[in-house]
Amino acid sequence: MIFFVILLVLTFLAQIVEFFIPPLEWMSNAHIYIVPVIVFYGAMALPFPLVLALAGFAGFLLDAVTVQALGTRVEISIGWSILLYAVLASIMHGLRPLFIRGRWEVHCVMSGLCTSAILLSQYLMIAFRRGSLVFTHDAWWQIAGPGVIAMLMAPLAFWILHSLGRLTANPYLPEPDGYE
Amino acid sequence: MNRSSIIALGIFAAILAYFLSFGADSTRKLQAGFYSLISPFLKTGSGLQKSITSVRSGLKTLEEVERDNASLQVENRSLKATNQALRDVEHEVNRLRRALAYRERALFKLVPAEIVARDSSTWWRTVTINRGKNDHIESELPVVTDEGLVGKTTTVGDNITIVLLLSDENCRVAATVEGSKEQGIISGERVSGSVTPLLDLNFLTKQANLETGRKVYTSGVGGVFPAGLLIGTVQSFKARELDGQARITPAVDLSHLEDVFVVTGNR
Repeated sequence: MIFFVILLVLTFLAQIVEFFIPPLEWMSNAHIYIVPVIVFYGAMALPFPLVLALAGFAGFLLDAVTVQALGTRVEISIGWSILLYAVLASIMHGLRPLFIRGRWEVHCVMSGLCTSAILLSQYLMIAFRRGSLVFTHDAWWQIAGPGVIAMLMAPLAFWILHSLGRLTANPYLPEPDGYE
Repeated sequence: MNRSSIIALGIFAAILAYFLSFGADSTRKLQAGFYSLISPFLKTGSGLQKSITSVRSGLKTLEEVERDNASLQVENRSLKATNQALRDVEHEVNRLRRALAYRERALFKLVPAEIVARDSSTWWRTVTINRGKNDHIESELPVVTDEGLVGKTTTVGDNITIVLLLSDENCRVAATVEGSKEQGIISGERVSGSVTPLLDLNFLTKQANLETGRKVYTSGVGGVFPAGLLIGTVQSFKARELDGQARITPAVDLSHLEDVFVVTGNR
């Protein structure tokens, strides 16, 4: 439970930090997202009810900072990111047997793919709301770029979070030789 | 799936359904509340970022500071003189207008604000400013700098406000082109790979054939933006099948905003 609370706090802080990370000009202004990496690690290291709670919290934060209420309409309602995070985190949780067997690289790759999936879903939703679907070179980069960065960040982030999990004696972690 | 997972799923579905039922007003209230909650973090982060940046630039330009200071003092004296001259002209113009029974030139009531955070999302272009309801700021008010239009306020908290930038596709502004009768609607690009994205001025006539460098101003149609605010300059024009479209370079560098003014009314 302590580890779950730590993940909640880290998710919140990561969401704040993301405000101050400038987009990468050399990658068509792609943003860096830290929150998905934390959530997807939590999806492997926590029991399913807590995975849902963490995904719900992260989705709520994402919705609260991005939702656009203009006049009488809301572009993407609060709740869609919660659903998105919950579905993706559940998929990651389903891959937990691999994590227990020490095949954590699958989850690093999946973290990147799921980060891009969040952005792709958001883009498709706003395209649907605005009435035209346009995929430019920049759009692809802004969807794929954060995924690639998340994939690269994941090994280090997972190692730090895993160490934190051990320090706080998270009972849901695999045996010590399972991850390293 | 065990019993606790099923219960968790049920609770999750109920919470999700609750959030999905939110309308625009509830969403705005919740977002304003959330931003008010995180505003101390954003302000601290912004302060830290500024001090780090200023230390870095200070270290780089320590010798240049004196030179800059001297040149700024000269410029300041020159501007003071110009300002005084312009005050005289303004007074004269107002006197003549009154004499001609014209309405005295309307001046805006402005609330100065500082940018505390930039958008952290990919698809929406917003900034957060350190003023809110406590400073008489409301939703749908124009935001400007001395260079021109920046955008409009959307969600307003007690001491924090989200500003939708002109470069966002959802920020639409009725505009007019100087020296012509052309009117159109400005909107941002949905996706831009550039730090300083261009704007689209749509619904012009096919024959508009606007030259590069022409200034584009708000037309005042629509009620949110008063007429006469500079939006940008024409970069290119193309005639399409049914209408004309111009690409506009924004007058304000939206990627390096630090201080803005919210137009709260006329003085």
